[in-house]
Amino acid sequence: MWEFSDKVAVAGVGYSTLTRHSERPLARLAVEAVDAALSDAGLARADLDGIATSPAMPRYGGAKGTVEGIDVVTPWHLSELLGAQGQMLWTGSTNGMVTQAFIDAAMAIASGVCRHAVVYRALHVPAGRYANFESDFAAGADQFTAPYGFSGPASWAATVLRRYFELYGYGREDLARYIVDNRANTQLNPNGYWRGKPIGRQDYLDARMIADPMSILDCDIPVDGCAALLLTSTERARDLRQKPALLTGFAAGTHPARFGLPMTLEDIRIGCEQVAERLWNSSGLEPRDMETAQIYDGFSPFVFLWLEGLGFSRKGDGLAFLREGHGSLDGLLPINTGGGALGEGRLHGMTQLAEAVIQVSDRGGERQVPGASRAVATISNGLAKATGFVFSRDG
Amino acid sequence: MTGQRPLPLADETSAGFWDAARHGRLAIQRCTACWRWNHAPSLACPACGSFELCFEQVSGKGRLHSWTVLTDVPAPGFRERLPLIVGVVELAEQQGLLMIANLLDAEPAELRLELTLEVTFEQVTEDRTLPQFRPVRH
Repeated sequence: MWEFSDKVAVAGVGYSTLTRHSERPLARLAVEAVDAALSDAGLARADLDGIATSPAMPRYGGAKGTVEGIDVVTPWHLSELLGAQGQMLWTGSTNGMVTQAFIDAAMAIASGVCRHAVVYRALHVPAGRYANFESDFAAGADQFTAPYGFSGPASWAATVLRRYFELYGYGREDLARYIVDNRANTQLNPNGYWRGKPIGRQDYLDARMIADPMSILDCDIPVDGCAALLLTSTERARDLRQKPALLTGFAAGTHPARFGLPMTLEDIRIGCEQVAERLWNSSGLEPRDMETAQIYDGFSPFVFLWLEGLGFSRKGDGLAFLREGHGSLDGLLPINTGGGALGEGRLHGMTQLAEAVIQVSDRGGERQVPGASRAVATISNGLAKATGFVFSRDG
Repeated sequence: MTGQRPLPLADETSAGFWDAARHGRLAIQRCTACWRWNHAPSLACPACGSFELCFEQVSGKGRLHSWTVLTDVPAPGFRERLPLIVGVVELAEQQGLLMIANLLDAEPAELRLELTLEVTFEQVTEDRTLPQFRPVRH
């Protein structure tokens, strides 16, 4: 078990507005989210002494924007905008995913390097198509994918979903219940991009294909926006405005994707199982201790593959679990209770962390899982850079 | 931007693969220490870590591991090629030896796991050829 289990807490959650194309620059949205997290915790900018993110723009093909404040917001730039540069004792910037920056921040708090750390993820939607390989030449790993039209992450996920369907005898109709119920959860989430737009089963079945069998409703929507989480020690958090969400354990995965083949069903399985084993060891808990699961849903197949990898269902049964409604808000294990990234917008796992925090601190309002005292959150597709977390209610 | 499909840019590690393709041969990287096959070509063997790798011609036979059908262009140069079938092909030489290729002369409706495939070569420009796959017809 992790030595600092339950000694680090999330004390504040903050969101900027989430829109498709904001008129305000990304830097302003990042400031808005950090201020919201601080205010949620009852803190001010002057209290901040730690800051971290993973700033890169995750664009595939096309030009990857690098303009500070517009395409990306590095922690150094954001510290300056917050007028807090001189007081930062710890600055973290990882080239992995932001959820690894969250682990770094938790360790910075646990070790006493800083007292109040904010972890944020600011994402910008560039002009033009998000996944569109516009170069004449494909180099590096791209030379084995892009010349074949296999350059978009949705098409990679499509080969995983197709193989799962074929091996276990499922079809898109088996995913409909989850997608529809997930959108219903979004209606209860004030931050949800798709709030106000419920869908029905037929909408899912008729949805436009991005890469068969992945439809547009199986992919999270890129947004302009930022989410921020404020970490501090549990002891300190108890004096702040909100009930703390305790970080009980975490894990980071290291199973690599193959060069030139970004994901396969088999690699995802190995990776999810590795993260799960590390997570249950770190937290000293097991699947049956969890009352809700916040599972990364950048692409819908990851949801049931994580369920299987984490041990909530057997191999090949994960999609049946969703089909039977066990993951719905009133099901056995409510999943992505705020609508996940499919409903809220693409924030690279911040959605899952924030919702786990909200649930164990009893702040879910209409979407609260009654009495939820433990939440598991997993991010990414299980391969290297994937992470898992267990959050617990205080007391 | 020419409206062409993106062309593979060979490098020191991958040149053996693309050179062979230009001559109508499918050559896959092989480790001379543990003799495992490896694709896509890499600097060191992912199985044993050896840097001693070579390229060896393979049978060109494979089975369909998975696929996706694209009806939306993934890049400008694919406009005339829809629906585009991208196959994950498991080569006959080794379990789990996977490569990406388009499936040519195939209908989406006939695709299933383990469908037997054979390599074919599509010359894209004067000096560039893509290994592709098609169903074996009897």
